[in-house]
Amino acid sequence: MTDRAVLRREFPVKGGDFAKAGVVACRIKDLLKELGLDVGTVRRAAIASYEAEMNIIMYAREGLVKLAVSPRRVRIMVDDKGPGIPDVDLAMTEGYSTATPEMRELGFGAGMGLPNIKKNADRFRIESGVGRGTHLEIIINANGHQP
Amino acid sequence: MNKKHLHAIHITQDKCIGCVHCMAACPTKAIRLRDGKAKIIDELCIDCAECLRSCPYDAIHTHTTSFDALSAFDYKVAIPSTVIYGQFGATTLPNEILSALRMVGFDEVYDPSAICELNTAAIEEYLSEHPKPRPFITSTCPVVVRLIQRRYPALCGQILPIEPPREVAAKILRTILPRALNLPPERIGIIHVTPCPAKMVSINHPATLKKSYLDGAISIRDIYPQMLNALRKSSDEALMRHLFPETLFSGIGMGWSLSGGETRGLKRHRAVAVSGVQDTMRVLDQVEAGLLQDVDLLECTVCPDGCVGGPLQVENRFLAKARILELVDAAGDRAVVDQKDVSRLYHKNFLSFDHPVPPVETPPLDVDPAKAILKAQRRDKIFKKLPRLDCGACGAPDCWTLADDIVRGTARLADCPFVRSPRKKEKR
Repeated sequence: MTDRAVLRREFPVKGGDFAKAGVVACRIKDLLKELGLDVGTVRRAAIASYEAEMNIIMYAREGLVKLAVSPRRVRIMVDDKGPGIPDVDLAMTEGYSTATPEMRELGFGAGMGLPNIKKNADRFRIESGVGRGTHLEIIINANGHQP
Repeated sequence: MNKKHLHAIHITQDKCIGCVHCMAACPTKAIRLRDGKAKIIDELCIDCAECLRSCPYDAIHTHTTSFDALSAFDYKVAIPSTVIYGQFGATTLPNEILSALRMVGFDEVYDPSAICELNTAAIEEYLSEHPKPRPFITSTCPVVVRLIQRRYPALCGQILPIEPPREVAAKILRTILPRALNLPPERIGIIHVTPCPAKMVSINHPATLKKSYLDGAISIRDIYPQMLNALRKSSDEALMRHLFPETLFSGIGMGWSLSGGETRGLKRHRAVAVSGVQDTMRVLDQVEAGLLQDVDLLECTVCPDGCVGGPLQVENRFLAKARILELVDAAGDRAVVDQKDVSRLYHKNFLSFDHPVPPVETPPLDVDPAKAILKAQRRDKIFKKLPRLDCGACGAPDCWTLADDIVRGTARLADCPFVRSPRKKEKR
């Protein structure tokens, strides 16, 4: 029963499309609410997916956010066609950012994106390298930890 | 809960022709067409009045307090919204307007601008004492409160727990008048005069009080003709009142009804004002995603330009806004409230909510998440069969909502006129 009950969705995200910033995260949030997941899980998934979506918009040409929801957990996979991150450990440091002044002007690029995703996830995996794009796997357990 | 007064917005059945305007305009998708008439789903409606604005056939009406209902009280007090000062042209002064309200049948009328200023001061104090969370959201617009309860339940704790000026003003009068007049409290009627039908809902079903301190809300539209008459008849008296003003208007409170007016008086905090229902939802989406944490206070009003764009005002809102801005300029930064008094009331919790805003659960597809997921899968399949024209002919505002209604059991695939061979699978 629970194995069958997996809802999958894919959300393409276009790089540089700041006008659509947050749309995917918002759709994910609404969907999780409809599925009756608890408020905390919904909130964590919304924050994590928002940060992931923004990273694509800010740095990549395009990307795909893939959502798989089962009653017990939310899995968000993110693949982007972007420049890739040369030093992943450095990128995971709070406050480290390569955002341009224009992005900062818009209130983005505080260097909290990836650390914030990790903080809200129960499991987090990142794979990236120059020229290879960036791949994230974010798992949030229903009724899991609160950051 | 008395279902009859759950909402202030109703559809006049004989005027409704069953077109789709209101259904398309509703931001919470709370309207369906059934048997050729629009029906409002009580659980989803937030009384924003977008339907009222969009109906070309005048088929949507509001339930506010009728003028005749005031006869139930021995002593009648009016607390108008500051919007009223923008309703009577460029030369009618606030004191004349208050005096016109007296002439149409109120025993006493209180200017709200001082209480608005008090409110801003109390909000400043609250923000200073509570560094987290950010942003706090103002509670003045009852529609915003209802929207947050239903659509953004996680943000209920971010609604700043100070009652809006209308309730604070009524509470003060409720405290002092019975003794001053030597009348039992229930014989004194305290009435809000408002451009907003949702105030009626917040009076009948307050979200943060055990009981509202107000006895009713009269629409500016309903009382306008009598007031205009009174103003015409009494131009001499009005002139005297100009020369001998009895009320000191607050410069900080005067612009309260314009978007940004609630937060203009804040000195030590960063505030952002949003107006309009779509924009409010867009910004609340961002707040729910954890953004805007560098903003101390978010003022949201669902009417365009703030309360001055309320559906029950009379003057066109641009003229009303221009007039109020003139009055704000004239009053300058004049403060009429003593900060120490505010602080004392604030620390007595006189201005606080009785209880925090409770979230109102919107039902998930199923209480069992596993079943909900199956229903969501089925909804995806149904949606693929639909034409995605969002024409409304099925009675739902768009194809996605029809698919949602079908899995929730309140509509059928056959309701869609574009789907061929309907009686195949989807029954229920």
